[in-house]
Amino acid sequence: MMTLNAKSASSSRSRQYLKELGGAMLAYAVVLLASISWLNRHADLASPWRDLAALSPMLPAVAVLWAIMRQMRRLDELQRRVQFEALAFAFAGTALLSFGYGFLEGLGYPRLSMFAVWGAMAPLWVLGLLIAVRRYR
Amino acid sequence: MKNSLRELRAQRGWSQTDLAERLNVSRQTVNAIENERYDPSLPLAFQIAKLFDCAIEAIFSAD
Repeated sequence: MMTLNAKSASSSRSRQYLKELGGAMLAYAVVLLASISWLNRHADLASPWRDLAALSPMLPAVAVLWAIMRQMRRLDELQRRVQFEALAFAFAGTALLSFGYGFLEGLGYPRLSMFAVWGAMAPLWVLGLLIAVRRYR
Repeated sequence: MKNSLRELRAQRGWSQTDLAERLNVSRQTVNAIENERYDPSLPLAFQIAKLFDCAIEAIFSAD
């Protein structure tokens, strides 16, 4: 009975996170598609409105941030430590990669989009998690 | 630090999941403490001692 309760408490927390994150991601996808569609139909409009439309997906992205922060607060002390080590790994790793490539850009390498930062940070976060989880197994 | 958490838990006939639920932590955290890969915080150590009705130093000792 206790085993079932523990599993249900843990899965209930996971379900809550998936619900919150899923809802926020869905809202982000909807606003992003609407924003792209609106921008395509108003290519001739003045800049401030186009800027606002381009930035509009960041509003539901704040909800993604809120869902992630709520989940972080639900974690126990070891899970938080694991996340801390993974995030520190991703933070420092992204700094290394972005500075390294920045120096190469100075030599004439192609300029990369700011989107590339997350493209580096997200896999480094996952790699950091794998390393940290293994360390405390 | 060394600890006797695994033995204490076995005496009660609890699984790691049972103990995790009683301490409101994840099973992985119980496992890491039992394998001495992670030393719990003082509040969690007190919680463990209270649950097993003994002093902290009866469960945890220096290497």
